[in-house]
Amino acid sequence: MSTTKTGLGARPGLWVGLILGTCGLIFGLKASGAINDTTTLLLAIVPTALLFALFRSLANQRENRCGSTSQAGKRYIFGIMATSIAYVLGLGVAMWVFRNLDPSVELTWLLAMLPIAPILAMIFVMGRYIVEEQDEYLRHRAIMASLIGLGFVLAIGSFWGFLETFELVPHVPGWWAVPIWAMGMGLGQAWQSMRHKVGPVDEE
Amino acid sequence: MKNRLKVLRAERNWSQQALADELGVSRQSVNAIETGRYDPSLPLAFQIAEVFGMAIEEIFSRD
Repeated sequence: MSTTKTGLGARPGLWVGLILGTCGLIFGLKASGAINDTTTLLLAIVPTALLFALFRSLANQRENRCGSTSQAGKRYIFGIMATSIAYVLGLGVAMWVFRNLDPSVELTWLLAMLPIAPILAMIFVMGRYIVEEQDEYLRHRAIMASLIGLGFVLAIGSFWGFLETFELVPHVPGWWAVPIWAMGMGLGQAWQSMRHKVGPVDEE
Repeated sequence: MKNRLKVLRAERNWSQQALADELGVSRQSVNAIETGRYDPSLPLAFQIAEVFGMAIEEIFSRD
C-alpha cells in the first residue's frame, strides 16, 4: 500500500498560483517601466525555480491518485520539468541577447535554437511516454489528452488563420502552437479527472 | 460492458490497490474498469480473469 503524500508537496494548484502571481508581478513591473530587461530576466529565475516545486507536487499528486508512479511516468515528469526549464531559460537568454546586443545573423540563428530545441525535446518526451507507459488506462488518458490538445491547435489555428487572412486580427507567431497544445492537453487531463471523480472512490 | 469486479473484489476482501498491485496497473485503472468508464484490453481482461481464477465471461458481460 502506498503512502499518501499530503501538505504543500501535494498541492499543485498552490504552485501554479505562485507561478502565475510572480509572472504577473514581473510582467506588471516590466510593463510599467519600473524594471529593465536585465532585471526582468533575473527576476524570471523565481517562477522558473517554482516550476521545480510544481513538478514535484504533480509527481506526488499522481502517486497519491494512481498508487504509484510508473517508470515511464517518472521519466515523463523529469523530462517535462527539464525541457520546460530549458525553454524558459533559453527563451529569456535569446530574447535578452537579441534585444540588447544586436547579434549577427549567424548568432541570431543560434539564439533562435535556444527555445526551439527544448520545445522539440518536449514533444519527444510526450511521444516517448505514450510508447513506454505500460498501464493501458493511463496511456489511453494521455493519448486522449494529447488529441484534445491537437484539436485545440487545429481549431484555434484555423479560426485565427482565416481571421488573419481577411485582415480582421493581427498576426500571431506560429510558435503559439505548442503552448496551445499543452494548454489543451492540460484541459483534457482535467476533464478526464473530473469524469474520474464521478465514480466511487477507492474502497479499502 | 458490465463487470463483476467490485463484487469479486469484495468477496475476497481485496482493496483496489491490492488488485492493482496484483495486476501491475495503477489504482486509477482498477477504479475506471470497475465503474465501467474504461473497458480493458483483451490481454488485461485475461490477466484479471487469471487473478480471480475465473473465465473472462464470468467477470465481463455485454450491457
